[in-house]
Amino acid sequence: MNLSTRKLLDKSFSGLGLSSIALMGITLVLILAPIIWNGSKAYIFKGTIEHRKVMFDHFDRGNYDKLANEKSDVNTTRNFIYQSLNNFDEELKLMDSSERRKYRSEYREFKKQIKELLGPSPTDRKPVLIRQQYGQNRWDRTLIKLHEILYIQEWDYSNPDSMGELVERPRIEEYRGTALEAIFPYLENNIESMMLPKWTFYWQFLTDKSKDAHIFGGIWPEVLGTIYLTLGAMLFALPLGIIAAIYLCEYSKDGKIISLIRICISTLAGVPSIVFGLFGLAFFLNTIQVSESKSVLAGALTLSLLILPTIIRSSEEAIMAVPRSYKEGALGLGASRWKTVVTIILPAALPGILTGTVISMGRAAGETAPIIFTAAVSVGAPITLLGTLTDPTPALPWNIYNLCTEHEAVDEIRHVQYGMVFTLVAIVLLLNLVAITMRAKISKKLRG
Amino acid sequence: MIALFIKFDTTTIPFKKNAFVRLYVNKNKKKQSDLVISDRIGLIRSIKNWIGKSILFIITSASTFAVFFIFYFIFKDALPFFQIEGFKEFFTSTRWYPSGQPDEFGALSIFVGSAIVVLGSIIVCVPLGISAAVCLSDLLSFKLRQIIKPIIEVLAAIPSVAYGFFALVVFAPLLQNNGGFVLSVGTWMILGPLSILFSVLINEYVSQLLSKFIKINTLIRSLIFIFFVSLFIFFTYVLALRVSGIEIASGTNALNVSIILGIMALPTIVSVSEDALQAAGRELREGSYALGATRAETIIKTVIPASLSGILAAVILGVMRAVGETMVVWMASGNASKIPDPWYNVLEPVRTLTATIAGDMGEADHVLGSSRFHVLFAMAFCLLLFSFIMNLVSEIIVKRSRKKLGQI
Repeated sequence: MNLSTRKLLDKSFSGLGLSSIALMGITLVLILAPIIWNGSKAYIFKGTIEHRKVMFDHFDRGNYDKLANEKSDVNTTRNFIYQSLNNFDEELKLMDSSERRKYRSEYREFKKQIKELLGPSPTDRKPVLIRQQYGQNRWDRTLIKLHEILYIQEWDYSNPDSMGELVERPRIEEYRGTALEAIFPYLENNIESMMLPKWTFYWQFLTDKSKDAHIFGGIWPEVLGTIYLTLGAMLFALPLGIIAAIYLCEYSKDGKIISLIRICISTLAGVPSIVFGLFGLAFFLNTIQVSESKSVLAGALTLSLLILPTIIRSSEEAIMAVPRSYKEGALGLGASRWKTVVTIILPAALPGILTGTVISMGRAAGETAPIIFTAAVSVGAPITLLGTLTDPTPALPWNIYNLCTEHEAVDEIRHVQYGMVFTLVAIVLLLNLVAITMRAKISKKLRG
Repeated sequence: MIALFIKFDTTTIPFKKNAFVRLYVNKNKKKQSDLVISDRIGLIRSIKNWIGKSILFIITSASTFAVFFIFYFIFKDALPFFQIEGFKEFFTSTRWYPSGQPDEFGALSIFVGSAIVVLGSIIVCVPLGISAAVCLSDLLSFKLRQIIKPIIEVLAAIPSVAYGFFALVVFAPLLQNNGGFVLSVGTWMILGPLSILFSVLINEYVSQLLSKFIKINTLIRSLIFIFFVSLFIFFTYVLALRVSGIEIASGTNALNVSIILGIMALPTIVSVSEDALQAAGRELREGSYALGATRAETIIKTVIPASLSGILAAVILGVMRAVGETMVVWMASGNASKIPDPWYNVLEPVRTLTATIAGDMGEADHVLGSSRFHVLFAMAFCLLLFSFIMNLVSEIIVKRSRKKLGQI
């Protein structure tokens, strides 16, 4: 082959490798960017007056006088809406029945939309469901709702060759010449003074209970459940894992049994996570019955099996990395083997063991499949420490799934879903960051 | 007495004690009772040692028990299904109506769905992962590697449900609304680099052929090169244009899941195959360089063949990750239990084993003991068996390759 061609091939080969690395980096950014960007919106957003009302009514937050002032301001601007609605009601009564029928369903829809935007009118009876007592909490949702009010959205299926197309036409066309006509420009122009959006840093999203199936409030029960599950799993897996690593490194001799144990550890690492879930159901719940129903305990036990291989492997690596001279020195001074392990080897290997532990904590926090049948429920209060033995708990990973597939108002609580994913990813990445920095320190120390 | 001494020397009592006893005995030869006490201490010590060791051993074998328990309990609950329904329907029929009257448990389409998704993810992650691993082990400097490794670790650390959320909420709407655009971008990304690579190779071949008839200079070579590049690029352009006309009916389909699963399996493949490439050793590379090979030739013709088995093990581990993944496929595969038509049509929704287990258990829970409950365990047992066999195969491959490299 020609030398220049070979060089060219070499270069393009390097380029291929580099571009694959770049592609990986881009993928990571593409995945994390929407999660971080939209997730932070659960914490920092433009909150409307309705948000402040919810905070005051349900979480005892905010200043009463200020809120009362804002309320009266808002009510004066909103008054026009309610008045024109009343006027239109009067107008409807005067119409003959055929004309009235023309408006009926459309007008009912319109009224419902207004209610969803602004909340029930002050003269209405207070609705039972919390979600019906308030208008839109967030400014971005308000604008979307406003758009839905101003425009009727319809699907156009006239072209059979392609998929249906979304067509929007102004709703005002429906009400030309009636008392409602003036409402549309008024809504569009005065929405800001009707909702009073204000930048809000809602850090309590992390520590608030949820109200009305996550439509208001925060995600504390889920966060707490995740913490309990993770710590519980570590509680079982850590001693088992470290002792197993000590035995495998310091006491065992290579033989049939040890190789069997090693094969079992790698098998355990390869078992699909959903199978762990089924095993937890069949063994911990149905056979030895650690609790009556799903419980944090059963979930933690299942998760601990899942992370056991990771902990054993990383602890083993950490123990192997301890210089032989340490061990020989201790043995030479007359310490027994166990004493050498406890006083010399373990402290030296501790940072490495901790690194593996922290990484597997992240793994345990993020696993969903094992807890579906053993620990997780969709809604629930924050669980007490004693309750972990008997009660199931909501947990971040499971509720992310649940909210984005099974919730009745999936689109309206996107921010909660994103907030949950953001929180979970933040927890896991933070744990990994700790591990990475710890490992960097260790390798620096080992290099001298 | 001498016999006693000898016995002492060979027991497991630590040296220090032993020496002390010997000194003591030498001084007071008549006090035999002390010796007896020391003997007992020794015995107690060795018993203690033995007990401690056995406790450690029992704790260590917890994972072994766990594996056996998992196999036993999954099998125990899977068995009733095969006893009631038999094997034939489960493995050969595509009719999956577990709640129908009468109920039907044909899981073939679910097995096929799993296979399609895994094949798709292999296509995504194997080329990308291996080239990234080569890059990490042979091309990049130490410093750059330290920067890039955390990227891989973060990719591995992101919880599966976050990937699933991304697939469902971000990627699926993107595919559904701008499917043609995404597909054409994908076509460009795959065929663009390949077309340049091919035209370099073909250029070489053609100019060798032509050199028999005319004298080849740089101008002619580059003209030929440009001709082929533009030909390939034009071909790619036409293909991308065709592809961009495709409309995807639903964003939650096999393609979506395959891509996301491929990304999830990437870290495993990259890190394991990088280890394998590193294990191939310096001597091999230096020998190849000394013979005048370029870096690309060294890697393709020497390093990769030498570490092929390790790379194979990496691919197997990646496949296992993709097979066992639950949340992504449950959320974003569409969960339609039918075989796509034709079978390679990845734009249709599929249903996988893991998603079926996760999704159906909620309903089957109430009817404990029915075949609807046990069929899920039967599926789990198939999964378990598959991952067990795959794991063993990869272990054996790695062991063999280590032996082989050791011999070199």
